[in-house]
Amino acid sequence: MMNTEAKTHSIDIASMQRDNRTLDLANEEHTLKVNNLKLYYGDNEALHGIDMVIPKNRVTAFIGPSGCGKSTLLRCFNRMNDLVDGCRIEGEILLDEKNIYDRAVEVAELRRRVGMVFQKPNPFPKTIYENVAYGLRIQGINKKRVLDETVEWALKSAALWDEVKDRLHESALGMSGGQQQRLVIARTIAVKPEVLLLDEPASALDPISTLKIEELIHELKNDFTIAIVTHNMQQAARVSDYTAFMYMGDLIEFGVTDTLFTNPSQKQTEDYITGRYG
Amino acid sequence: MEFDNDNYSSHISQQFNDELEQIRTHLLTMGGVVERQVHDAIESLLIGDAELAEQSRRVDKQINDMELMIDEQCTTIIARRQPAASDLRLIISVSKAVSDLERMGDEAAKICRHAIELVEEGDSPRGYQEVRHIGTLVRDMVKNVLTAFARNDTELAYRVAKQDKSVDQEYRTAMRSLVTYMMEDPRAISSVLNVIWVLRSLERIGDHARNMAEHLIYLVSGTDVRHQSLKQIKKAVQDDIEKR
Repeated sequence: MMNTEAKTHSIDIASMQRDNRTLDLANEEHTLKVNNLKLYYGDNEALHGIDMVIPKNRVTAFIGPSGCGKSTLLRCFNRMNDLVDGCRIEGEILLDEKNIYDRAVEVAELRRRVGMVFQKPNPFPKTIYENVAYGLRIQGINKKRVLDETVEWALKSAALWDEVKDRLHESALGMSGGQQQRLVIARTIAVKPEVLLLDEPASALDPISTLKIEELIHELKNDFTIAIVTHNMQQAARVSDYTAFMYMGDLIEFGVTDTLFTNPSQKQTEDYITGRYG
Repeated sequence: MEFDNDNYSSHISQQFNDELEQIRTHLLTMGGVVERQVHDAIESLLIGDAELAEQSRRVDKQINDMELMIDEQCTTIIARRQPAASDLRLIISVSKAVSDLERMGDEAAKICRHAIELVEEGDSPRGYQEVRHIGTLVRDMVKNVLTAFARNDTELAYRVAKQDKSVDQEYRTAMRSLVTYMMEDPRAISSVLNVIWVLRSLERIGDHARNMAEHLIYLVSGTDVRHQSLKQIKKAVQDDIEKR
């Protein structure tokens, strides 16, 4: 083990340590807490009692084969599954210690606090500016100065400002796929959510746009708690602090990304991330 | 986590299986060459066979080439496959193990050079008994560590680390008696020095075998046991076996 105190020839060995080495779920603040969450589509139990936490200001990645329940779980975090016929949920998800499935919770407000970005960029057929301002207008904010400031901040945060600042009032549909996806992220963060849910945000994008999104995720975690579902394991390894591996509706392993990708504790995790027969 | 011996044959990509199996096979082949070279180096010295020494010395070139080849294969796999978990640990361990094997080869070549010099000097100096004794221990270590790699046997790897400790002790004892001998008979200094270099090389080969054992323990258990005491290594090995 490296002695973090040791200094030799005035070289500070501790500064060579990667930040991630100090990551530990036990030391994290929790934004979301999932308690024995079961989800049924009709009679079919799709999630079998998930228990986990989503740590604050960290990136948590969900990986697993198709149909393992990772997108379903992500959608539970802002009640997107409410819209699915025959979908029923047991257990609870706590956001700041309050159950989001409580009757008193207003879903629209929940979705403002927990924003979501999907696989295919879905900008509205409006101008770039109006896309980002949309959420604010819905909240009844119409002051031009506030809108201008927020749009600029959101586009800057989404690393898009420099590319679009001269054509804010052109249609968003004229942008490239990668730009559209960053616009959608800007639209989501414009309403200042606490949690950002990303469902395969880069799978329809080219490698350069993908890297830009990944860089963006890294920047955004300072202000938001991020949960990302991805089929790309290397992407999960690159962007996340914690990784959850799911299989057939169960959470098999959840831990620090560095550990999970170098020395997983479960055989199923090992088989999946190394590309073996499950 | 379970660590199967035939773990490398269960990937969805058959080609990836082949590539991993291949670097493992190549490592063991290289190990076989080095084991043979160490054996020949010690023998040539003990029986005074300059020809065998020269032959064995030249194997070094072959070993260097193998090191380059295996390392290149490791780099290619990292670039093309982005290996994770035990696959990644395999690549890292193999890449480190080949460096140790190559260094063992260098040390064996040094022994050969001293053997040739000693044959040329023509006398039978003191210290051969120590060479024989430590040589046997070191050869056993090399054999064991290669077997451990072939079987992913961490307990055997731990035994290699333990053997290294006794080699170090024997080496210190031999050193003391040879120094005494040189003081008694200064005319023998030059030839005894040759024997000392040989013992030094043997001791280094033992160190490299121990390094390889540590790489294997990392490969199988995921715990990095370098720069740790024997007790800590033993604990890591036992913890891993209990976990399986």
